[in-house]
Amino acid sequence: MLRGNRELWLAFLAMIMITGLYGFIVVFTREIPPATELFGHGIGILGFVFMLMTEVLYSLRKRSRSVKWGRMSNWLQFHIFTGLVGPYMALLHTSWKFNGLAGVTTLFTVIIVVSGFIGRYIFTRIPRTMDGLEIEGTLSQEALKQARRLMALWHTVHIPIGMALFVSAFVHIGAALYYATLMK
Amino acid sequence: MRTNRLGCFTSTGIIAALVTAFTIAGYAYARGGLMYNPGLLNSQSGETLGGVTSHAEIAGDCEACHTAPWDAAIMADRCAVCHTDISLQMRDVASMHGTMLHDNPQLGCRHCHPEHRGADAQLTEMDGAAFPHEVLGFSLNGHQLTAARGPFQCHDCHTDNVSTFDPNTCDACHRQMDLVYMTAHTLSFGGACLDCHDGVDRFDRNFDHNVFSFQIRGRHMGLACAECHFNARGFGDFQVTLQDCYSCHRQDDPHEARFGSNCVDCHTEDGWTPAKFDHNLSAFKLEGEHAEVSCESCHQNGVYQGTPTDCFSCHQQDDEHNGQYGTDCAACHNPSDWEDADFDHSRSTFPLTGAHVNVACENCHINEQFQGLDTACVACHAEPAFHLGQFGIDCAACHTTNAWTPAEFNGQHTFPLNHGDGASCATCHSASFTTYTCYGCHEHNESNVRSKHLEEGISNFQNCMECHPDGQQHEGGEGGEGN
Repeated sequence: MLRGNRELWLAFLAMIMITGLYGFIVVFTREIPPATELFGHGIGILGFVFMLMTEVLYSLRKRSRSVKWGRMSNWLQFHIFTGLVGPYMALLHTSWKFNGLAGVTTLFTVIIVVSGFIGRYIFTRIPRTMDGLEIEGTLSQEALKQARRLMALWHTVHIPIGMALFVSAFVHIGAALYYATLMK
Repeated sequence: MRTNRLGCFTSTGIIAALVTAFTIAGYAYARGGLMYNPGLLNSQSGETLGGVTSHAEIAGDCEACHTAPWDAAIMADRCAVCHTDISLQMRDVASMHGTMLHDNPQLGCRHCHPEHRGADAQLTEMDGAAFPHEVLGFSLNGHQLTAARGPFQCHDCHTDNVSTFDPNTCDACHRQMDLVYMTAHTLSFGGACLDCHDGVDRFDRNFDHNVFSFQIRGRHMGLACAECHFNARGFGDFQVTLQDCYSCHRQDDPHEARFGSNCVDCHTEDGWTPAKFDHNLSAFKLEGEHAEVSCESCHQNGVYQGTPTDCFSCHQQDDEHNGQYGTDCAACHNPSDWEDADFDHSRSTFPLTGAHVNVACENCHINEQFQGLDTACVACHAEPAFHLGQFGIDCAACHTTNAWTPAEFNGQHTFPLNHGDGASCATCHSASFTTYTCYGCHEHNESNVRSKHLEEGISNFQNCMECHPDGQQHEGGEGGEGN
């Protein structure tokens, strides 16, 4: 599975389009879209939904273990696509200010994306079926063992970073809701 | 890894989530809402309020401005603690802030005065349409669109700061709209636009001057404002512009003020000519038939000044008296009709008195000669034969015009006139004034005089005056002896 890097090209294409829209807004309004206004806020919400999908949908599919929800390779491609496009949209939402909790959340986002890249390349070293099952015998036992160890290690890093990111992001969203509605 | 849990809920994942949550909670407990600080507070120094000169000085003290959701107070209440003057304004609908709150009661301070936007960020940012700009003395009615036909932003006019305004900003935009007009306008009225303009006015080319007491009509239309309002600077200067004609047109007056200063008595705003001249305002009022004649009858060749006002200058050829009555026609005639003459002889050198009043004109003015008649009595009254050569020809010395008699002799009378009681001239002068008799008196009858003179031996007693020149009785003694 995960032959080639189609999802990276699609993500890159989507980011180019989003960048074009962002550039258009910047030129049209002659300002960096503020995080609190229509575009800046919208792209932040959409980016977070993408990031949430990145996490939850892939985890759910893994948990289901049923091919009726689609092939794992496609879900991984989707995970990588949303895992790139979502954070990029969240990055544009920042309006290039990184102070406070929002800055920490952005930092977590950047780390998780970098971590995801690393994980992708460890993952592709292990031959798998289209459903994600490992194919035995194509690698030497030693190499496979090393790859599995790396993968396990990566998981123990990638997942906690993701959890920290979501806790931080939820607090950020909660605070945003509070300041938008309850602040008086 | 292959459990029924979601992939993210690994033990390390849960631990990471909890650690993150506790870290955030701990930081929030220790530093309040600082982790949500969206940006630096404004650090521009102003007047000292609440012990500080800028918001940046209370950075970290979130509660100075922010309230908890369960708190009864709101942020605006915290603002009012320091900004007491604004707090007062907010309760006064005549003020800017009071008007805004009256129209939009839900507005809070932060809706127009955002913070946490950086140390040098503007502290006032708002929707211009909601701002009651007219409360500050300048309405935005006339400023809906910029010179580039776009919506106005605060900084279009308030380039540096919303609380300051440079009048040159008006000039810059309005020159783009009409360079020629603005150049002339600022030359005429100066550059302090706000002294006259309040944004509601339409003091431009669509300005309707006729809403004021001085209506613009005729040739006044199309004049540049400065032609009447020269050197006007403030609005008050326009209001005190004098409205009488002469204030502007004194130098235009060819009549040199002889017709007064109220030009509209004759002229209209449509032009100096044609003029409707009221001749009765001049020194020569047009009365009677004078009102009917054409101007040219008197004012030949268009000359109106210096026209003589005496009758004879025009009416010499009309004089049927051939100049005998002089040149003052009005002495007898009125302007209505030549025939309706009223000659007052008493104004002549020979006033008619006494019996002269009823004498027919022709008796004296023979052959219609009215001028140059001799006014001496003898010119008409020949000396009567009975005092021919005796009393001279000055009849008026003794006679009046009432009648020839009685006359009063005022000449030289050698015999005392007080002789005898109640005697008249005829008592002595019964026959003529050149002869006399003493026998007209009852005492002097001839037989009595004769007997008395004969007793004294005087036989020549016929000529009484010879011996009694003053009428005394004994005067005749010596005379008698002598004769």
